[in-house]
Amino acid sequence: MNVLDIRSVTKRFGGLVAVNKLDLSVAPGQIVSVIGPNGAGKTTVFNVITGVYEPDGGELRFLDGDLRRPFNRDTVLGIVGVGVVTGIALMITLHLESLWDATIVQNYVYQQSFPWGKAAGDFFAFLGAHGTSSTLSFLAGALLGSAAAFLGWARQRRSPDTIAARGICRTFQNLRLFPMMTVLENVLTGMDVHLHSRIFGMLVRSPGFRREEGIARDDGMKLLEFVGLASRANQLAGSLPYGDQRRLEIARALATKPKLLLLDEPAAGMNPAETVDLMKLIDRIRQTGVTVLLIEHDMKVVMGISDRITVLNYGTRIAEGTPSEVRANPQVIEAYLGKEDVG
Amino acid sequence: MTAARRAVNHFRQVEWILLIIALLIPLLDQVLYATGLGAWTIGNDVCQRVLIFTLLALGLNVIVGYAGLLHLGVAAFMAIGVYAYAILSCDIYPFRIGFWGALVAAPLICALAGLILGSPTLRLRGDYLAIVTLGFGEIVQDVLKNLDNITKGTQGINPLPPPSFFGHALNQSVYQPWYYLFLGFVVLAVIAVKNLENSRLGRQWVAIREDELAATCMGINPVRVKLKAFAITAAVCGLAGVLYASKLETTAEPTSYDFNVSITVLCILIVGGTGSLRGVLMGSAMVMGFDILLKKITEALQAAGLTASGNVILTPSNWKYLLFGLALVLMMRFRPEGIFPSSRIREELHAGEGDGIEAT
Amino acid sequence: MSASEVFIQQVITGLSNGMIIALIALGYTMVYGIVELINFAHGDLFMLGTFLSLTIVGLIGASAGHATLPALVLMFLIVPVFCGTLNWSVDRLAYRPLRNAPKLAPLVAAIGVSFIFMNLGQFWGGLPMQVFGGGLAAAAPKSFPPLIPNTNVLHSLGLSTDVQFTLRDLMVWGVTAPLLFSFTLFVQYTRLGKAMRATAQNPVAAQLLGIDVNRVIGATFMLGGALGGCAAVIYPLFNPTIHFQLGYRSGMDAFTAAVLGGIGNLPGAMLGGILIGLVRSMSDQYIETRWTNAVVFSILILILIFRPNGLLGARTREKV
Repeated sequence: MNVLDIRSVTKRFGGLVAVNKLDLSVAPGQIVSVIGPNGAGKTTVFNVITGVYEPDGGELRFLDGDLRRPFNRDTVLGIVGVGVVTGIALMITLHLESLWDATIVQNYVYQQSFPWGKAAGDFFAFLGAHGTSSTLSFLAGALLGSAAAFLGWARQRRSPDTIAARGICRTFQNLRLFPMMTVLENVLTGMDVHLHSRIFGMLVRSPGFRREEGIARDDGMKLLEFVGLASRANQLAGSLPYGDQRRLEIARALATKPKLLLLDEPAAGMNPAETVDLMKLIDRIRQTGVTVLLIEHDMKVVMGISDRITVLNYGTRIAEGTPSEVRANPQVIEAYLGKEDVG
Repeated sequence: MTAARRAVNHFRQVEWILLIIALLIPLLDQVLYATGLGAWTIGNDVCQRVLIFTLLALGLNVIVGYAGLLHLGVAAFMAIGVYAYAILSCDIYPFRIGFWGALVAAPLICALAGLILGSPTLRLRGDYLAIVTLGFGEIVQDVLKNLDNITKGTQGINPLPPPSFFGHALNQSVYQPWYYLFLGFVVLAVIAVKNLENSRLGRQWVAIREDELAATCMGINPVRVKLKAFAITAAVCGLAGVLYASKLETTAEPTSYDFNVSITVLCILIVGGTGSLRGVLMGSAMVMGFDILLKKITEALQAAGLTASGNVILTPSNWKYLLFGLALVLMMRFRPEGIFPSSRIREELHAGEGDGIEAT
Repeated sequence: MSASEVFIQQVITGLSNGMIIALIALGYTMVYGIVELINFAHGDLFMLGTFLSLTIVGLIGASAGHATLPALVLMFLIVPVFCGTLNWSVDRLAYRPLRNAPKLAPLVAAIGVSFIFMNLGQFWGGLPMQVFGGGLAAAAPKSFPPLIPNTNVLHSLGLSTDVQFTLRDLMVWGVTAPLLFSFTLFVQYTRLGKAMRATAQNPVAAQLLGIDVNRVIGATFMLGGALGGCAAVIYPLFNPTIHFQLGYRSGMDAFTAAVLGGIGNLPGAMLGGILIGLVRSMSDQYIETRWTNAVVFSILILILIFRPNGLLGARTREKV
């Protein structure tokens, strides 16, 4: 079973086809690279996978399951539930004054105990007596409520946070750290998907909350050691040197415990020494069981660590295979270097 | 000691000082009475206005300072808290759950109202949300006015049961017990909000404030996080409402909880400093102190016969909103983070200006 | 009045009020389209314009049937210029320095300006002038002399009906419709209009093409303010009562109208204004006046849930 299967995925922006019927598969434990000239649509592919963009066509399957939140019985129950509640609310709201009168005012004698049972009876009697308006308002409310709930659900179906919770996480081409948080706090935000303390616990700093925080911080420090940033744990992320910032982004993404890690040009702007370290880091990541999908321009990195490479040009896949296969592919050479003039 | 550590300690110093001052104000009043300057006592005003507005500002700070969203309708949630307390505890209605019951129930009802209003609207961009909260403030007022067989319209619902401790109910003859009760709640709120700031939720708020897209890709659901902030703000404002109404022993009329209240609270945050507790407390002291000062000056001028009570322009308290408005404009122009901001927010607001942190 | 006559009456009232709302909504939507700022103070600017109208009337000493024409001419000349210039100044002083600030800063500044205007309106109403009631009760609503009589045009045309289509309605339609029409032509065909549209779509590209973006933005504020100023003359002639909180209510209506039509979309604001006017009059008649504000607000919420880009707005979703 492949970790990721992309079949015939297309993404358009107005008239421009950024990704054109792309096929891409990633097997477990592999490191797969996506390369191509600038503007080939590589980051767009990442954005589609992680839910930032909605694809205009095609299918994405993750661990042989749909990436979107499923439309199942729970969804229907949720939508219907919201509808029913909204319907009842609207029904009561539109009759509020008379209902209040009939139920509470009529039955309440000042400072005497209140006949709750009778009041409940009066409540339903009133609604029954005004059958048409009650039903209409209930139906209107139910319709509005369900429509809104459905719309809300549909818009969030393939949202990036849903996908991150499923197990796909990414880094960004232009670095999107939280610059005013410390290094450790950045990593902790990544861990958030798996933390469970509730508001009440947080308000009073309950033992459960403190225990979970402690574990999270320990795990965070371990991740920082894994990428080699443990010594900078309490520095502000924005103050780090560039290469460290890139590694921090990777650590933050790893904190979500992904099964598939998407790295967008991780080696950009790095010097050769840093690049070698990066390649070792990616290999270490693979060894922990995480599958890696990589966009990169640095051919040393690409050829050095990839198991398979996909080449894009103008949004279309023009080649796919092992590094040696791709290196020798004439179309790839043409895409990067241009056609040799004949004659 | 890193700069961060020092800031934290300094932080606490200011808060302690404010707390001590707050504790001493009723004693100061005794001194003023004894020396015949009774007209200048501020304890009752501080109790009813400053402490309540501090609580409101603490609540608003959660949505504006932490989650970074503009909320122009806190008065609506205060009103919901007031009327929930009134309907649930006044003798004219059968529920009669008493002050302490209402103290628990009303904020919960407000939180629910916040969730209901927020669910469809928190997905929107910040400025739309601001207008929606503004409109909500108006609608709540309208509804409370219109449903006058329930809310008793301009008459208000009264009498409301005051808090009682072991059978002794607070009454209107002395304000000091109220003062210390309110102060106690302010302290509790400060502690609770600070705990939230240092928790997972606090981190989520900073994350969506700094880079919502990146936060979303790390698995944080921004709508849910904003909803929590919105509901907490609503609950705290509802709590402030309960306390306020209990001292008045009436709900007063719905127009007491209008846009002016919401804007005053916003002013406190903007002037004092969003996102930082010190800013909220100092802001409240400054803005409400200024408010009380204006009122005292107006009363003094009128008592001395220098201005007729009908003269609009020469009545200092009528300049309040012009000065508040000017304060907002000037603060945004020159110091958008407020006078006592959290260092994080100051950096965030000036990030584009090159005096921030550069990657080396 | 028969049921159908009641309905027609409400349509007429709704359209008249709606056109005034449309004029104000244009101010909101123009500014939003070009700087993505909800100019909170726009409604209060309109309110100040109505007070200026009243001042002009008071200074001339106009009243029903006396010095009406000079008053009208002066109002239509002075008030739009005043409002346009004031709006331009506010942008120049308060909003322009905040062009690069985080989104909430100009909004808070706009709230501040709105507050300042409201307080100024309150003071204005306390001026020791005959029309203002001589300085007392500054906050009370002021009545505007009925310069345009309430005569029913339909009766003058010989129709015997209870429906009222008065000279005032005629005035509103007669002034607003050409105004909206020429405004649309302006935006579509003049250089400044095109520059405004270009800047709204892509400020950087506009700059690269040599458009002075700050001047265009200033012109947008001025034009939007002037339209609000026109509304500020028409409104008191139609509804002869003004008060310093008029801006708040009108502002909410106009903003809802702008969102309903699609914020940033000029024809949308006009359509939205008319629709909101109709909604208000229908709600006043068939539901209850006291719930009309809630109805308008509910419409705002519903639009924002189901179609946030408005009726005429593009179907783009707010993604990265």
